[in-house]
Amino acid sequence: MTARNAQERLLDVKGLTVEIDGRRGPAVIVDGIDLHVGKGETLGVVGESGCGKSLTMLSLMRLLPNKIKVTKGTAEFDGRDLHKMSTRELRKVRGGDIGFVFQDPMTSLNPVMRIGDQLCEPLIYHRKMAKADARKRAVELLRLVGIPGPEERLEAYPHELSGGMRQRVMIAIGLACDPKLLIADEPTTALDVTIQAQIVDLVKDLRNKLGMSVVWITHDLALIAGLADRVVVLYAGTVVEDAPVDDLYANPSHPYTRGLLASIPTLSDAPTARLSSIGGTPPEPGRRPAGCPFAPRCPLAMDICRREVPKLEPISSGGSHRAACFAVNKALKAA
Amino acid sequence: MSAEPLLRVENLVKHFHVRLGAFGEKAATVYALDDVSLDIQEGETLSLVGESGCGKSTTGFTILNLHRASGGKVIYKGQDLTRLDEKTMRLFRRDLQIVFQDPYSTLNPRMTVGEAIGEPMLFHKLTTRAQLKDKTAALLQDVGLPTRFASRYPHELSGGQRQRVVIARALACQPKFIVCDEAISALDVSIQAQIINLLLDLQEKYRLTYLFIAHDLAVVRHISTRVGVMYLGRLAELAPRDALFQTPLHPYTKALLSAVPETDPERERNRKRQILQGDVPSPLDPPSGCRFHTRCPIAMEVCSRTVPEWSAARPGHLVACHAVNSGVS
Amino acid sequence: MTLVQPNPAIIEEEPPVSLWRDAWHRLRRNKLAIFGLGVVVLLAFVAISGPYLTPYDFLSQDLAARNQAPSLAHLFGTDDLGRDVFSRVVYGTRTAFLVAVVVTAIALVIGTTLGAIAGFFGEPYDRIIMWLTDMAMSVPNLLLVVVINASLKNPIARWMEAQYMATLNPFYRETIWIDFFLVFGSMALISWPPYARLVRAQVLSIRTRPYITAAMALGLSNRIIMMRYVVPNALGPLIVSVSAGLGTAMVLESAFSFLGVGVNPPTPSWGNMISDGLRVWQHYPHLLAAPAFVLGLASVAFSFLGDGLNDALNPRGTK
Repeated sequence: MTARNAQERLLDVKGLTVEIDGRRGPAVIVDGIDLHVGKGETLGVVGESGCGKSLTMLSLMRLLPNKIKVTKGTAEFDGRDLHKMSTRELRKVRGGDIGFVFQDPMTSLNPVMRIGDQLCEPLIYHRKMAKADARKRAVELLRLVGIPGPEERLEAYPHELSGGMRQRVMIAIGLACDPKLLIADEPTTALDVTIQAQIVDLVKDLRNKLGMSVVWITHDLALIAGLADRVVVLYAGTVVEDAPVDDLYANPSHPYTRGLLASIPTLSDAPTARLSSIGGTPPEPGRRPAGCPFAPRCPLAMDICRREVPKLEPISSGGSHRAACFAVNKALKAA
Repeated sequence: MSAEPLLRVENLVKHFHVRLGAFGEKAATVYALDDVSLDIQEGETLSLVGESGCGKSTTGFTILNLHRASGGKVIYKGQDLTRLDEKTMRLFRRDLQIVFQDPYSTLNPRMTVGEAIGEPMLFHKLTTRAQLKDKTAALLQDVGLPTRFASRYPHELSGGQRQRVVIARALACQPKFIVCDEAISALDVSIQAQIINLLLDLQEKYRLTYLFIAHDLAVVRHISTRVGVMYLGRLAELAPRDALFQTPLHPYTKALLSAVPETDPERERNRKRQILQGDVPSPLDPPSGCRFHTRCPIAMEVCSRTVPEWSAARPGHLVACHAVNSGVS
Repeated sequence: MTLVQPNPAIIEEEPPVSLWRDAWHRLRRNKLAIFGLGVVVLLAFVAISGPYLTPYDFLSQDLAARNQAPSLAHLFGTDDLGRDVFSRVVYGTRTAFLVAVVVTAIALVIGTTLGAIAGFFGEPYDRIIMWLTDMAMSVPNLLLVVVINASLKNPIARWMEAQYMATLNPFYRETIWIDFFLVFGSMALISWPPYARLVRAQVLSIRTRPYITAAMALGLSNRIIMMRYVVPNALGPLIVSVSAGLGTAMVLESAFSFLGVGVNPPTPSWGNMISDGLRVWQHYPHLLAAPAFVLGLASVAFSFLGDGLNDALNPRGTK
């Protein structure tokens, strides 16, 4: 057992299944996902659009849109199942113990409320602070996320700030009540690279300062390389690989992870003309093939892959690196 | 570069007039493009990079006369495109095509894939009705789609498949030059690579010239012949690919390159980033002198006063920076 | 290193589905809308083939059989002049449909043309047309109709009389056409502004869609862009609006006829039948019930159909 495994788990999701009531009847979008986040750990959740990464996180907060429901699984946060809590208890967790940062700072801030009021709201609601104290704390928070002139900014409306500034405000709101866990859903996707670099550095810095756990949802494998302790790769609603960050990049195992890494051009490798790519497209929910969902696009696919669903199994000696692939496991046993 | 360029852009300027305030009472001008000059050689891929609002897409739109230029020239086949009326321009549209960022909204939802691809061929009389089906099928094969897709509607396709349709539609005009305006930005990583490869294959097959507009520097490095870096409506640097990535001169180019994340945890954790402070200023009220001086780590006094000259620091390597020009950096 | 080879794209074999067909599937699952559609089709059938369906002439009086309760001979009974109420309701349906279709058609042509010009060509047409539209909308409907009736009825009657004298064409003797001209004209005058606004808004919003820019970049002409790109995409909301407009026009015609400024007796209209029935409803309730029921049914049917079409053609709202 490595030190990381012995770590206490802050968030422990087991067998989470999410279904949508679609046009062709119910369809599974998230299929029995296991996820855990240790205290103080930063988990990167990587996947392409439609893989269920955002829905997984929204389901934890029971913020799923209509027609989408959790049908199976548990999600324990600090020893309590989020799905079994009363709405009242859950409200204390939302914005209190768990902070959220959404992708689009343009639409996730209330356009008719001043920044200061939006920041004070969770403090007054969750921490029962007096208005004056809440404002003091709000100024501290804005300073913490690196917004110049925080006192004046309290009076500003969201549209008066730039995209990067707005995302900093979103992070400040997420951090307002000293959460134990910060869930960031593609927080830099809408931003430019230089601003993205600012935000990534900010979150790294805050994590070290405040000692919280972070779940960073992204489609960008490069972005979280320097940020996460551990990475979970999702494909079509299932976890295909789960590994400590160094293992994952040094030794990607699942053919999907390998294909994904190979298809990202970088600034350091030789600029070959052609990129290696993964053919085909991910399956739509409700049209997932039998067996491994990646099998139709997989170069290593065997007969069994089209019949049975592979389980997430340890592939390293410590058991911290796991992959759900028949081919990888077969190669491992042969070796 | 002695060869006659396919397309020459001279001192292109584009201003947008907008109305601000709750009742549109304030008139304002967005200085979207200012004095942009570049040559595009036949068969090359010239990329334009920069952050949102830097004018890279406006450049593409203005070259194609989809936005009317406020000043400057775009010379193609000896004609200044900016002076043509829409009717005459239509004769050139066949040669000069564009692939847009969002494949979801650039296809008419009421037309099948086959109709979308066939329309420009029929309009420009590039085919007869009898041959239409075969030509459409050939184009679909060119972009790697099964021919049965001709009878499908856009909403039945995935993002990557739609982008292939959009590319096929551009190809249907038998163009010489294609502007790829963030053509892969809206696609997933694994699909991006497919489309990039497709664009490269087609370039080879049809000897196409691309103006590739993107914000992803790593992608740009893989496909470009030359790269231009834009900041707030002006070109900051323009150089052959390797020169730009290995020996960038402009401080903004250096900062951009240093902000790109890499798929290497060890290097990412330890690397010293040169992080630019602050945000891009508003194009409504761009800074005086060099527009980058408000965020530039090596800004000098002269930078806020005079616009730096657009000059060749080395052969083929153009840059607009006082520090570089005076040999300070 | 080409670890992953491209596989051919995987797509299941299903017939292609156009947005129109998709909308039809959605509409078919909506029971109320299908009910509405059924009633509308039935009423339209009745209106068109009216003379072949009715057992009696709507004007023929049978003074021996006045104010009869509904029976097998007279399905809806007879009125105070012994006329068959069923036949009159059927003719009323004719009147209602004729007015609704003609008025909607005129309003649609005026509204669509003006709206499209305003949306596509912009200033200064836009400003002038929108100013006209606002003017037309600001006039109180009923007042306008009353004024038109009071001021134009006599001149038109005199003109028709003069035409008859000059041409001896029997058409000009039919005073009933005076009613219809007045009703068509006045109602069309108040009905076109919503279409103009809708079409203008549609054109304005569609014009900014990327696929229009894409079509321009392909070098297509304005005419093709208008006919193949703008119009088909603007049609959905227009269809919904026409369906609702037909229902409104029917109700409006009945309301005006009820008040005596629409179609006047002896030409049957649901409105003037209700007006007649209302005077004696305590003694002969069927005289009120029959036209009122059919009017209610038609109004509800168009409303259900309109809602159903809206959900089917603009599916975003149904989530």
